[in-house]
Amino acid sequence: MTDHDYDVPADAPAYECAYCDRPFAREEWLALHRGLDHPDELDDDEVAAFRAAYAEEEEELGTFRLQALGALVAIYFVLLMIYALV
Amino acid sequence: MTARRRRVTAAAVGSLCWLFAVGTASAHGGSLAAGGRESLTIPTWLFLSTGGAAVGASFLLASFVTDRSFVERVHSWGTPLVDGGVRIPRLLGRTVGLLGLAAVLVVGFLGPTTPRTNLAILLVWVGWWAGLAMTTYLVGNSWRVLNPLSTLALVLPSLDRDYPERLGAWPSVVGLLALVWLEVVSPLADDARLLATVVLGYSVLTLAGAVVFGRETWFDDVDPVERVFRYYGRVAPVGRRGDGSLHLRLPGIALSERRLVDGADEVAFVVALLWVTTYDGLVTTPGWRDLTTPLVDAGLPAHLLYPLALLAGFALFLGVYRLAVRASTRTAETYLAPDELAERFAPPLLAIAAGYHFAHYLGYFLFLAPALGAATLAPFADPVSVPVYQLPGWFGGVALASVVVGHLLAIWVAHAAAFDLFPSRLQAIRSQYPFVAVMVFYTMTSLWVVSRPEVPLPHL
Repeated sequence: MTDHDYDVPADAPAYECAYCDRPFAREEWLALHRGLDHPDELDDDEVAAFRAAYAEEEEELGTFRLQALGALVAIYFVLLMIYALV
Repeated sequence: MTARRRRVTAAAVGSLCWLFAVGTASAHGGSLAAGGRESLTIPTWLFLSTGGAAVGASFLLASFVTDRSFVERVHSWGTPLVDGGVRIPRLLGRTVGLLGLAAVLVVGFLGPTTPRTNLAILLVWVGWWAGLAMTTYLVGNSWRVLNPLSTLALVLPSLDRDYPERLGAWPSVVGLLALVWLEVVSPLADDARLLATVVLGYSVLTLAGAVVFGRETWFDDVDPVERVFRYYGRVAPVGRRGDGSLHLRLPGIALSERRLVDGADEVAFVVALLWVTTYDGLVTTPGWRDLTTPLVDAGLPAHLLYPLALLAGFALFLGVYRLAVRASTRTAETYLAPDELAERFAPPLLAIAAGYHFAHYLGYFLFLAPALGAATLAPFADPVSVPVYQLPGWFGGVALASVVVGHLLAIWVAHAAAFDLFPSRLQAIRSQYPFVAVMVFYTMTSLWVVSRPEVPLPHL
């Protein structure tokens, strides 16, 4: 994963991976990236950071899934109503 | 993802597809297959919105699959079929390809002049551009072996001039647009002599190019036809590995691989392929006729109108795709260069192009396949009536379903590519928002084109 091109805005925060120099906009994403792409090279702190970021992301995903489910139900019922009326 | 959830997802996707199969419209085919698309029983706006909603809903369903190991398992599934170096099928394939080219040239110049009985016309449009192209994305790319020009180039000497690297795939983009323009505006499906002349001209040009720049370079970089088949072949379940061995995979899955499309030129080719399949159908809709009649009345020459529209539409498609890529770097808050995203999310569009091609040509192929068979058995006979296969009434649903299935496949593959590209799963999902918005719009456009009645090309 080292052959990417990057485009980092000058004034934006960038967290660079120490193993492959890939920049990220958020520190959690860097932690996740280290765990996914360099699993064998991490020290204990980095492993702990990966686990924490993963757990936090799991929570956010839960919220997202609820929203997505809501949207699906909305699409279904709106179409159902329209088909009943047309 | 649990087995239960997987089943629920499959059932939901299945029922969405079924929803589309309810509509009726028969597949589009050039002037050979008379008979238009039938009208729908529900209002057009509702039919189009349902199509758009199905694509949007399937994105939401795909976003429930956030288990990286499951995605990787699906994408790494495959089994080797045959080792490389099988000589006999290759020789056989090359012979068939050469015989096909010879038949097109001989029967094209000397055979009957009725389009539906001329083997050259049937072989090129029904056998090759409809039938062989369909097998390319449904089974695997056999054109690589069949291509008679590539076989002929084997025995020709080569000057091995250096191909200018900066041109990249751009000549093939121009070539593809030029070929489609020629196909749309000239009576290539009616006039066997003209078709044979064009095939001869194209062969001479291609062989000259292969002699100057070398066979490999020409067919890898420049030849648009070879590239179309190669790209369609990436959708197929049978693929070729680096060592030449054949490999079985799930259909479309290989589109999420890295470096499948490399550079802005190859992205442009994928977008061009998508655009020309739309353009081909678009110009035979009544909407197009009504839209362009005032322009032609105002003095715009019809022969300028078609290439201008072709170029303008291509620029529009490419512009919209680039905008979606820009928007995606923002929604995903990524520091990856936009070009990187453009390359990674272009291959899924090939699944859409394949779905649209299938919708466009399956009915055409089945309708005229018996005529092709009859002409193959007696190439110089000119019977008064030719056998055709009358499609059943429900057949139009297949066309609509294949448009939607192409989009569903594209959504899944882009989802997998995003998971490979971004460390955060939510970031991966968010990166797809602009692409899904474009896809919803594009599905509605394609469904609109497929469901319109077909009219003769106006102003020509």
